[in-house]
Amino acid sequence: MKRKRPIQALNEKARAIQSLAEGEDKSVTALQDGPPPMPVGCTTIFDTGWETNPRPTYPVGNCMASARDFHGCAGDCWWPAQVPDGLTNHEDFDKQCPNVVRDWRLLKFD
Amino acid sequence: MDAHLSWADHRIFNGSGEPFVFGVEDASLFSLSPDAYETLCKWRTSEFVDPDKIPLTELEVLDGLRDAQILLPVSREKLLPAHLEPENVPLSTLVLEVAQDCNLRCTYCYAEAGTYGAAPCLLAPATARRAVRYLLDNSGDREHVTLVFFGGEPLLNMQAVKAATSEAISYGRIIGKEVHFSLTTNGTLLDPEIVTFLHANRVSVAVSMDGPRHIHDRNRPDEKGNGSYSEIVSRLGPLLENSPVPVAARVTLAPDQWRSVVEVFDHLIGLGFHEVGIAPVSPVSKALLPTAGQEAELLKGFGLLVRRFVADARKGLVMPFSNILDLLGRLHLGQTKPVSCGAGFGYMAMDAKGRFFPCHRLAGQTDFCVGSLQTEINTDRINSCLDSLNNGRKQSCSKCWARTLCAGGCHYENHLRENLLDLPRGTSCTFIRAWLDLGMRTYAELRTDGAIEAMGRRLEGRAQC
Repeated sequence: MKRKRPIQALNEKARAIQSLAEGEDKSVTALQDGPPPMPVGCTTIFDTGWETNPRPTYPVGNCMASARDFHGCAGDCWWPAQVPDGLTNHEDFDKQCPNVVRDWRLLKFD
Repeated sequence: MDAHLSWADHRIFNGSGEPFVFGVEDASLFSLSPDAYETLCKWRTSEFVDPDKIPLTELEVLDGLRDAQILLPVSREKLLPAHLEPENVPLSTLVLEVAQDCNLRCTYCYAEAGTYGAAPCLLAPATARRAVRYLLDNSGDREHVTLVFFGGEPLLNMQAVKAATSEAISYGRIIGKEVHFSLTTNGTLLDPEIVTFLHANRVSVAVSMDGPRHIHDRNRPDEKGNGSYSEIVSRLGPLLENSPVPVAARVTLAPDQWRSVVEVFDHLIGLGFHEVGIAPVSPVSKALLPTAGQEAELLKGFGLLVRRFVADARKGLVMPFSNILDLLGRLHLGQTKPVSCGAGFGYMAMDAKGRFFPCHRLAGQTDFCVGSLQTEINTDRINSCLDSLNNGRKQSCSKCWARTLCAGGCHYENHLRENLLDLPRGTSCTFIRAWLDLGMRTYAELRTDGAIEAMGRRLEGRAQC
């Protein structure tokens, strides 16, 4: 197992700075520039990228995690995907499913 | 490693949790292991660090600090902070003072009963339409712009609100841009027809409410001196139900009410607001200037709300406390600011006469007028207005660890304190730094717990708004 670094990035800026030092600047820009190795985003309902992405943070150069897709569709955003209507009928859907990647099976909204 | 290294400006945070360091220039946050903390403390008092003289056991930490750009090669050229010019920043937000008139007489109003110091007047619908076109025509390559309906009380002039909205939709469609609407109201004039209009156009509504009746009514009486609490509460239901966008309560509290922030927050959430933001009042008179003790009470209250926010976050919930959400959003991305706010840089207010001001708070003050619909916006005037408010501030802020997050603070607040109340510069700095300090500790705590992951995207969205 990789040993924990003595100095760990906490916020996104810190992460970008460390990546820069490691010559991994791709990880900062992968979702913005250039084609990622796998398509970004797949199905319209649940993005199954999580299956190939065991990392807890946003995947890089991979499908976008269902968590990212899912939260992007809920709340005050509009997206043509089937998610609970978080503003009116299912305002507490977060409570059922605090972590989409882990708990998505708990979502039983009608 | 380079022969000689020197320290970038940084601040170490050490408290209950793991220590962490804030890189001032980049607004970066890094956690420190016990070894890293010890090594950093040991060497940071030396102006230069020579890697050849560092014990082997400490090299890994120093390497890490260099990767984190807390330690920099002496030879490295200092990066100049980004310099913004108003002429290079297209319009993104226009605040329309649709009604320079109000049916309330709030005790702390900075706009003199909504009039901004002039005779009460309403924005003509035709002028509102022209203003919307001006916003869209001057928004460069932005695909989305924001139109804010403000006052006074904007619902006193629904004619102009409707005219501007329809113009924004139709003209926006023609030139391929989308306009987001927002409106700040005292809530006393809401009726079913207005609510239907607001919902249909996805207007983000902020209702000015100051909490439970005894606090709200003291702050926000009507012209006859009667409290407005009952009137608002009786009209809120339809607005809050089935709203397509969140409805926020915006709270203003006088210093002697700061001890009540938790009660205020709970009350407003209990009324059904989707989000609550609490602002300490601007000292429009000396009587509203806080004491150090009152500032401490406010921070204590915010601190209590933040503890609840953290407890909720650990359960995967997001407590809708705007103040901390906005701050965490910025800290999450590590956003630095070359200017303290967007005033004059994409953000502009227009009064009922069609005159432009860098910010809604400065509206109506001739000294800060930067153009009109007839003459257009004069970007040199924006620079000279902001310079007059900030002359020499960069220098006085240059040693402050919070400078890249605060960038000098609110222009209007500074104007009130320094020009009108004749206070020395920097009377709000202690509070600002304490609040940022609290935000950073909270962010580090949530990040260490992993609780920030669940809300990361949501935080980013806020910071980019």
